[in-house]
Amino acid sequence: MGLLLAVAFAVPWWACYLTLGLLVLPLAALGRLFGPLTRTLWKLVLPFAVPILLIQGFFWGEGEVLFTLGPLSFYRLGLIFAAASIGRIAMLGGCFLLLSMTTRIDMLMRALVERGLPNQALYLVVTTLQLVPRFEAQAHRIQDAQRARGLETEGSIARRARALVPLIGPLLLASLMDVEERALALEARGFSRRGPRTSLVTLRDTPLQRWLRLALWLLAATLILYRLVSWITR
Amino acid sequence: MNVRLESLSFGYPGGAQALRQVSLEVASGSWLALVGENGAGKTTLAKVICGLLRPDTGRVWVGDWNAQEHSAAQLARRITYVFQNPDDQLFQRTVQAEVSFGPRNLGLPPSEIEERLIQTLEVLQLEGLRSRHPYDLTPTQRKFVALAAADAMRAPLMILDEPTTGLDGPALRLLDGYLARKRQEGRTLIAISHDMDFVAEQFERVVVMAEGKVLADAPAAQVFGAADLLAASHLEAPQLVRLAERLRWPTRPLTVEAFVADLATRRMAEARR
Amino acid sequence: MIELDGVTFTYAGEATPTLQQLDLRIGAGELWAVLGPTGAGKSTLCSLLAGFIPHFYRGSLRGKVRVAGIDVPGSSLGEMSEHVGSVFQNPFNQVTGARYTVREEIGFGLENLGVPRPAMLERIERSLALTGLSELAERSPYALSGGQQQRLAIASILALRPKLMILDEPTSQLDPAGTGQVFTLLRDLVSAGETTVVVAEQRLEWVARVADRCLVLQSGTKAAEGTPSDVLSSPEAEGWGLCESRFSRAARAAAAQGVTPQRPQLPHTLDQAVEYFR
Repeated sequence: MGLLLAVAFAVPWWACYLTLGLLVLPLAALGRLFGPLTRTLWKLVLPFAVPILLIQGFFWGEGEVLFTLGPLSFYRLGLIFAAASIGRIAMLGGCFLLLSMTTRIDMLMRALVERGLPNQALYLVVTTLQLVPRFEAQAHRIQDAQRARGLETEGSIARRARALVPLIGPLLLASLMDVEERALALEARGFSRRGPRTSLVTLRDTPLQRWLRLALWLLAATLILYRLVSWITR
Repeated sequence: MNVRLESLSFGYPGGAQALRQVSLEVASGSWLALVGENGAGKTTLAKVICGLLRPDTGRVWVGDWNAQEHSAAQLARRITYVFQNPDDQLFQRTVQAEVSFGPRNLGLPPSEIEERLIQTLEVLQLEGLRSRHPYDLTPTQRKFVALAAADAMRAPLMILDEPTTGLDGPALRLLDGYLARKRQEGRTLIAISHDMDFVAEQFERVVVMAEGKVLADAPAAQVFGAADLLAASHLEAPQLVRLAERLRWPTRPLTVEAFVADLATRRMAEARR
Repeated sequence: MIELDGVTFTYAGEATPTLQQLDLRIGAGELWAVLGPTGAGKSTLCSLLAGFIPHFYRGSLRGKVRVAGIDVPGSSLGEMSEHVGSVFQNPFNQVTGARYTVREEIGFGLENLGVPRPAMLERIERSLALTGLSELAERSPYALSGGQQQRLAIASILALRPKLMILDEPTSQLDPAGTGQVFTLLRDLVSAGETTVVVAEQRLEWVARVADRCLVLQSGTKAAEGTPSDVLSSPEAEGWGLCESRFSRAARAAAAQGVTPQRPQLPHTLDQAVEYFR
């Protein structure tokens, strides 16, 4: 992640758009994720893009003015700076989304565990992700029980919000009980056993993937070094 | 409180069609058992009747109310639903708070709430547990607390989802006593159950469901005597009915008393020969 | 397989012991049923045999507890889980949430135990087949019904090939078909010599059909021990708070009314009842 950030700032800003256009989006299309990826990316970037564009554009203060809007002037240098920032954000966002949409999180965690992350970390991440539907199911059940005893949960926003209050206590309590019983179930499956563990799913690491990883590392290192050097010798 | 279901259909989003054109009529004060294997749609039907789920098509009439025009909470004045798992239904810190939750939502005065509380706890032998936390109680006690909490609503129609699961001998007898009182009070009762012996003993009318449809709606004796119906719905006949079949009796006794009476009759007939 | 001598256990914060001076001997390859009303100590006994007492639940434990050759108090849950498998009452809470599909859920325990991958695959297939879950192998455990989740829990434990399986009212939330499947499966496993089973149950008809021996608990002490027929036909059986089958109830009523002569052995299964009333 840190590496990605470093690279994002190392490359010239226009390269970000290039990466997005030539690498991220085609890869997304390859994985049949073009639609979902672009939609999510759009939703992610827009809240940043609009303010940045407006602020940088109108408040840059020097250089060529592209157009005026009443008392405000829109500066070209501001536009460029905004484009640069947005480009970096978009590239970062795009890469991250591509990663999370194409990789099964438990596979990712398994790979990390193979490289030394403690085993419990795999469990923690996967269960936390599955926690939300579990919580939701629990909340639903409790609220159904409350409705069946006369608690009004339908209607105006205010009423629906009020109906959430009696939900909190029982939900927490139910979750605690749930946690205890699940801990028992985990123990029954050998969770706290000491000794070597095996994996049902094999992560295939082909030579191609290894070379690709090496190449990427080298490329990233080169870009960062180049930027550092040019920055130092400015 | 009579209930009329007209051609109800319901499908869970992204999932199975749980109810297909289910129609049913329950007269006020009558009792009915809803049976069928897991996934037949029994619990779904119960939730649709209570307004916890809205049907895709069809209508539910609870008395003179069209259920769709009322929220589940409003319908709770006329129908109480006791969930299969008491832990899904308990959410207060004391038994007392639990049982008075419903009456409070009905807007009853404190004196009335207290009176109902005392009465309900007494009937289900829970008086000493008033200030205990429901989760500190045994599963059987929790089941009865959930029952008490629903009972305190004093709704004319009750739906019990698997009332006998997890109950031991003494608890089953307590349940029998409780049901006898409900019968006296003239409550309309629908029970969902896997326990065919319980159904045979307590319910004159049995509705068999399978795959979201009503396969049969008939007197208990008729349902339990129909071998192909039971096979089609993956149900087993009550123990005494199975016994009578194996003994090649013409009768199908539904209760221990009926069985012993039939046995006595046959023995006497044999003795005369 | 199981040796209990003078076992007394009191939960932390409780005044009275839940188990009192319990002695028990269970041999390998047997199917035992633990009977008794709520609060008799059935669940506590199950927790003890699995090692959850004293390693998960706090309290004061006295007496000797040896399970599968292990001294339970001196062991650990990690070690116990390699030899003893536990199935609990609530199907939903036995879904670990650690894996996305049924197949992987079964594999979770095998991974923890360090079973080599080829053996894992074979065991998973077998577990799926034995519990009738083969068609649901790729589904999320959360998309199963309660009965299916319970079968998943059993499948997951089965795959671990435990020497001893402890089940605490495993069928209370299942329909009759599911109940039958579970009991038949347990009986087949024990008969094939694959494991020893201790199951806490209320459904006497099934107990009488499949159990080799029964243990009756009353307020934490042993009230009776023996074959199902002997135990359930005992004159004290009525006072134990068990859910009698209609067969024995009918037999008692018939004898009380003089329709049939008093007989010592009451019927508890359909076959026994047919013989009895012929």
